[in-house]
Amino acid sequence: MMPSEKTSYITGLQCSDCGNLLSADEVHTFCPDCQAPLLVNYDLNAARGHVDRDEIHRRLKGMWRWHELLPVCDPKNIVTLGEGDAALLHLPRIGNSLGLINLFVKDESSNPTGSFKARGLSAAVSKAKELGIKKVIIPTAGNAGGAMAAYAARADMQALIYMPKDTPNANIVESRIASAEVILVDGLISDAAGMAGIKAREEGWFDVSTFKEPYRMEGKKIMGYELAEAFNWELPDVIIYPTGGGTGLVGMWKAFEELEQLGWLNNTKRPRMVSVQAEGCAPVIKAFHAGASFCDFWLGAQTIASGLRVPKSFADRLILADIRASNGTALAVSDSAIMEFQKNLAALEGIFAAPEGAATLAALKELVVQKWIEPDERVVIFNTGSGLKYLDLIG
Amino acid sequence: MGNNVLYIEDNPDNMTLVKRVLEARGYCLLQAMNGLDGVATAEREEVDLILLDINLPDIDGYEVARRIRGSGKPKLAYVPIIAITANALKGDAEKALGAGCDVYMSKPINIRELWARVEAYVPSPQK
Repeated sequence: MMPSEKTSYITGLQCSDCGNLLSADEVHTFCPDCQAPLLVNYDLNAARGHVDRDEIHRRLKGMWRWHELLPVCDPKNIVTLGEGDAALLHLPRIGNSLGLINLFVKDESSNPTGSFKARGLSAAVSKAKELGIKKVIIPTAGNAGGAMAAYAARADMQALIYMPKDTPNANIVESRIASAEVILVDGLISDAAGMAGIKAREEGWFDVSTFKEPYRMEGKKIMGYELAEAFNWELPDVIIYPTGGGTGLVGMWKAFEELEQLGWLNNTKRPRMVSVQAEGCAPVIKAFHAGASFCDFWLGAQTIASGLRVPKSFADRLILADIRASNGTALAVSDSAIMEFQKNLAALEGIFAAPEGAATLAALKELVVQKWIEPDERVVIFNTGSGLKYLDLIG
Repeated sequence: MGNNVLYIEDNPDNMTLVKRVLEARGYCLLQAMNGLDGVATAEREEVDLILLDINLPDIDGYEVARRIRGSGKPKLAYVPIIAITANALKGDAEKALGAGCDVYMSKPINIRELWARVEAYVPSPQK
């Protein structure tokens, strides 16, 4: 195999709905024709001939060791704080209590700024730097704001963040200490998104809202590559994922497609993807079980898991399509179950999970009761962040 | 049933986009650039579905929905209204449904979703 000489095999952007092709050398948000999310394309045939999965395995740990499959062309533009390669931990005690022998958690709390949002924002801010962008704006339920503030600071960019006023205090503090301007909104993330969108249009800020720029998903997709590598180039049987905006779920499914095209998987068996939301805000679950292609806007969204308080994702069609393509399912859990399983994860396995992460364990228990999961299946739940950022929730 | 869709929207870019995609599917698009004109058009014309922007320059979309629902023209009591907003204010969705709209969509308008929402009420003439 000829060694890779390229930093990235990116070829361009493509609309997830109409297939429109756009250049990745220009600033784009979403498809100008049909207003759907854009996906990043790579020359995977060329990468297959030049990029060696085992060589990547030997590189220094971190998300950017997969740089050929990330969108930044000049390494000088990579903005990193050491994100990626979060631990994949076996959960023997909880697994035993549920009758599962192969239960794992992908614990994303070890990422910079304490959540998986670091992956997406590292990719988005890096590509923004490459495109000459100087100021970035984001609406956030919390952790994405903190991550954007940190990466924007490191990239010497101006950062403006719109958050619901009841966002965990840690997110407000971490954003402001990184010199971001934070505007607290009397409403939900959807309200913050509206305000950020208006500000972006009026003042020329680049909006890095979930799926309204193409690159955050690229950072998140690396979670899928890491899983394949950790399972010796096979994929787990079931992935249980908390779904707010859905970037991680859609991103991992994209990663599995790419891995297959790269010829890096030892077999083509894909995981069943499980989307987990809170009972107080479950648009994906409702649409999934109704057989709908899109979500209705969830009225009166309310849950302690602020990352799940997303009344409607901009990528709802992709989320629903990927769950169905995987033969997966979707279920909602109560806030009380989230609190109970947050405590269980900490007490039995030493993992102080974010409420969104605890929600996946609550969902797993329900799936075991339903016999949707076989005892020997390899199951990965996702803890998307550290519980330390939600101390104000815990009495 | 006809296929006349009234779009009440002051943003010309959004109007152009929606006109293009709905007319491509055989719908007839009636246009109103403000709330009062929208109410008047709904009362004057045969309208089978209304797309209603909430942030309008004269009366807001909630008031437009209320006036349409309260119109003396019987059909307007039940003609489907799809509210479309940029969710710039708290509780836009709840207020839109409370004012008489049937469905709420947020901007940017995903075209595939718009087709699906419109076709749920008014089948495409080209099918």
